[in-house]
Amino acid sequence: MDFDVNYLIEQWPALLDGVLMTLQVSLLAIGFSLLIGVVGGAIRLFRLPLLSQIVVLYVELIRNTPILVQLFFIFYGLPAVGLGLSLYWSGVLCLSLWAGAYQIENIRGGLATVERGMLEASRALSLRPTQYFCLIALPIAVRTSLPASLNTAISLLKNSSYLQAIGLAELTFVAVDRIATDFRAIEMFSAICVIYLSLVAVLALLTGRLSAYLQRPFQHQ
Amino acid sequence: MSFFIENWGFISKGLLMTIELALVILLFTTVISVILGVLATLPNKLLRGVIHAYVELFRSIPLIVNVFFIFFGAPMFGLDLTPFAAVTTGLTLWGSANGIEIVRGGLESVARHQWKSAWALGLKPWQIYLYVIGPQSLKAILPAYTGLLTLLVQATSLGALVGVTEFLKTGQTIIERTTMMTGASPAFEVYGIVLLVYFVICSALSWLSRYLERRLNRSSIRSAH
Repeated sequence: MDFDVNYLIEQWPALLDGVLMTLQVSLLAIGFSLLIGVVGGAIRLFRLPLLSQIVVLYVELIRNTPILVQLFFIFYGLPAVGLGLSLYWSGVLCLSLWAGAYQIENIRGGLATVERGMLEASRALSLRPTQYFCLIALPIAVRTSLPASLNTAISLLKNSSYLQAIGLAELTFVAVDRIATDFRAIEMFSAICVIYLSLVAVLALLTGRLSAYLQRPFQHQ
Repeated sequence: MSFFIENWGFISKGLLMTIELALVILLFTTVISVILGVLATLPNKLLRGVIHAYVELFRSIPLIVNVFFIFFGAPMFGLDLTPFAAVTTGLTLWGSANGIEIVRGGLESVARHQWKSAWALGLKPWQIYLYVIGPQSLKAILPAYTGLLTLLVQATSLGALVGVTEFLKTGQTIIERTTMMTGASPAFEVYGIVLLVYFVICSALSWLSRYLERRLNRSSIRSAH
């Protein structure tokens, strides 16, 4: 067994395609999951009847079932009742729904740290609940929940590798596909491990920058 | 629904395989987590560094890549692993990386003066761990560890991808068979039921984790005067 670097250089274009697909799907799903998180967090904050219970059930359902089964349900199960989505959108939907449940909890945690006085003050200023949420509570909550949201985003990026199981040509799929023909498992897996680790590092770095940027108003007292 | 009753024997076998996988992985994970978790609290810098690297590595790689690596990579090292062994190894590496952090965090959460008092009483290091720190750390460890077990049960579904006939795989097989025999795919119902069964098992474990957290905290409130 020898480690063939030339093989990896040869396969680089294919791997790059895989990386781009992984990034595309992950970034889209990160956006959608944050949207789900904000909406779900708001529903939980204002304790909207019925909707609030639905959100709790959704979060519990996602957190207590394997993401692989969720994926199969969306990709193979839904078309059987006429709700079929394309391969790509099934993947995005699965990742968004999975991470959305965690983002709801993250953002809810952030919202819980917003002082009650803020709500009273905003009422005194006759702001509507939606204005209070968008202009006051959410900007504060985003800052506190950012580290947890980042963790969820990183998990989402790693979990995009599950989409290999339905045949979406992302990074893991490309690697396994190549291994099936070339039997260069060690090279391929080392390469994709390094790529995943780098992607996670870049994501963490960017969020660190964002966090520092958001904290700026609070640094000079 | 009829396929569910007709295939009951097959389904229960798959469910048993899932439970077996989870228990075997739990056993290995616990052994590694306890040993390396304790070692990670020792002052030796090199040892801590190596364990930290192990933890970070296996927590950062996507789990599916980890399992595939072992499944496809082992033959290159001349090891012929069965799918069961490959999944067990892959999930144990990942599970123990998480478990080590739980054990280490739990041990370090015990107040510093407990160490010093035990030391002053002339207890040997192993006695301090076994009689003083260990029992107190369980309060932090048990709820988190039950949470990890929930994730392990969910992760065993990866077995379906490398050919272990566990619960998800039996579901897939039933869908294939029924589609071939009747022409209509029961994917919606079967995957729905599979989701529901995992939900029941994992919710019970999540509930146990929350119960332990409440229960164990109550005892500390009582004794902390």
